[in-house]
Amino acid sequence: MIYPKKISAKKTEKLLKYLILLSVAIAILLVIINKLTTPKIHWAAICNAGIIYAWITVMYSINKNINIAGHVMIQTIALSLLALYVDYALGNKGWALNIAIPIAIIIANTTMFFLTIVSSRRYIRYAIYQLIILIFSILPIIFIYEGMVKNIMLSYTAIGISFANFIITMLLSANDVKDEIVRKFHL
Amino acid sequence: MNRKHLEWRKIDNSGKIFPISTGKKYSTVFRLSAILTKNISKRNLEKAVNIALQKYKSFKVRMKMGFFWYYFEHNSKEPIIRKEKTYPCKYINPRTNNNYLFKVTYFKNKINLDIFHSLADGNSASIFFKEIIYTYLELVHSKDFPEDIRVTKKVEDYTMEDSYAINYDKKAKSNNSSQKAYIIRGKKIGLGAISAIHQIINFEQLQKVCKKHNATVTQYLSALLIYSIYTQNYINNKDEKPIKLCIPVDLRKFYQSKTLSNFFSYITLEAYMKDLKSFDDILAFVKKDFKKRLTREELNKTMSGNAKILLNPIIRVIPLFLKKLIVRISYTQIRKYTTMTYSNIGRVGIIGDYQKYIDYFAMLIAPEPVEKIKCSSCTLGNNLVFTFTSILNDNKIEKAFYQFLINQGIEVKVESNGVLDDISKKN
Repeated sequence: MIYPKKISAKKTEKLLKYLILLSVAIAILLVIINKLTTPKIHWAAICNAGIIYAWITVMYSINKNINIAGHVMIQTIALSLLALYVDYALGNKGWALNIAIPIAIIIANTTMFFLTIVSSRRYIRYAIYQLIILIFSILPIIFIYEGMVKNIMLSYTAIGISFANFIITMLLSANDVKDEIVRKFHL
Repeated sequence: MNRKHLEWRKIDNSGKIFPISTGKKYSTVFRLSAILTKNISKRNLEKAVNIALQKYKSFKVRMKMGFFWYYFEHNSKEPIIRKEKTYPCKYINPRTNNNYLFKVTYFKNKINLDIFHSLADGNSASIFFKEIIYTYLELVHSKDFPEDIRVTKKVEDYTMEDSYAINYDKKAKSNNSSQKAYIIRGKKIGLGAISAIHQIINFEQLQKVCKKHNATVTQYLSALLIYSIYTQNYINNKDEKPIKLCIPVDLRKFYQSKTLSNFFSYITLEAYMKDLKSFDDILAFVKKDFKKRLTREELNKTMSGNAKILLNPIIRVIPLFLKKLIVRISYTQIRKYTTMTYSNIGRVGIIGDYQKYIDYFAMLIAPEPVEKIKCSSCTLGNNLVFTFTSILNDNKIEKAFYQFLINQGIEVKVESNGVLDDISKKN
């Protein structure tokens, strides 16, 4: 006999499928309870946005191929989207654009800066995520330009920190960024 | 700031297509197995794999996604060696096994190397696999191998060149047939199971029979495969499409290439069954078709046709996600041009002193929803191991193949993974 008798099923995959089904069931249940108890306040939608955010984080964490910079990037984007939605669901007071997203951008850029300094040898693996974070960090300019932001100081601070981070990392790692672009866009 | 340069390389022209088209149903994975005389020590196997990887760095890579193509990047982690638990040739998720594109598993006295086709073809995979086996045996039987007695090729003798890009002929006309192939019919096994049946054939006896028919071993076994398909599947379905047998060919024998990347082409035998009723008819046809197709000129046409598509400037600038979409849609049709693939990697050259620790080698290729059965063979000593990997829920073709060889007076032993069990009980 040169083969094992019992062939194992992919348990993790099955478990994930069951958990996704469970999440969907909970989400539907929350909507029903919301409709039956307090139909004027859409709290179930906020909970469901939280469930989606949690799943994005879980799926991303399971994926072991993603490095820490990838996590910073995905958390920045997912948290910003979650904040936007919660703000919208609670009456669109503007705190997501004014406070939450600029703070997320500041934290992301500061983290990336420290990552660049602390593990400079791995920087080349962070380069593409750094670029995406930078593009995301430019968004407050559009928000200011469109008059969507009242408290512009925090947004300007976020943009300033992003550019400062970009310039510093370019000075430190211009060749790495160039290499990464060459390999990502080779024909 | 002094940073370590991160090594990367483009995927060769043939290998590029595999990550674009692959998925759980089309794994494009093949397996090499070595059945040793003693049970495997996991610790020594881990050591052996890491030593072999230090020598053959082209396998120490992970696959990354670019904007236009996938590419390989140096992988600093170590591969995870596990006990065999699942079916052979299953899809290798590039995010598992520390991002390696191959998996080394073991079971009792058997070592398996499952490898994603993008990384290597049968020839280069067997070079790497033999290195693992040699190193493993040296670690386990250190008294028998006190010094490096191997005088095989040095790693430096190999290259990573893209031999397609170098050797293809821009002006060569395509020789692809426009005729769709007969597709083997029948219920599939389901639940992602893959049947593996090894027929361990007495090579000397087989060679004698082949000589009698003035045929090579590959020609004889190809004819027998067509005959088995014809009698067990084709004849009941009254189809007029030809049985098309695809046979991969190692191009290194035709060009002066020492690449460890993919460098293979294929010939497709196109058997119209109207005039081919007996085994002798089929063998005569196979011999004639081999002579016609197995020439450098014909192989160049096939290779150039495929290389030209991937080197086309318009194709190259299509973003990867669009390429994937196009290839996946068109591949369901492309696959209908082959009934079955049979790959014979021939004799596995093992140095004499090591042979006593190895019973036999086997090669397995992943079957697909269209090509439900794939076949492969390799030879060590007097054992030619012919393997059927199948997702078809019957083993009539395998049985007919086995019975025919037995009727010719050739000894055949059968091993299987038990998914389609009753042929094993014959043994």
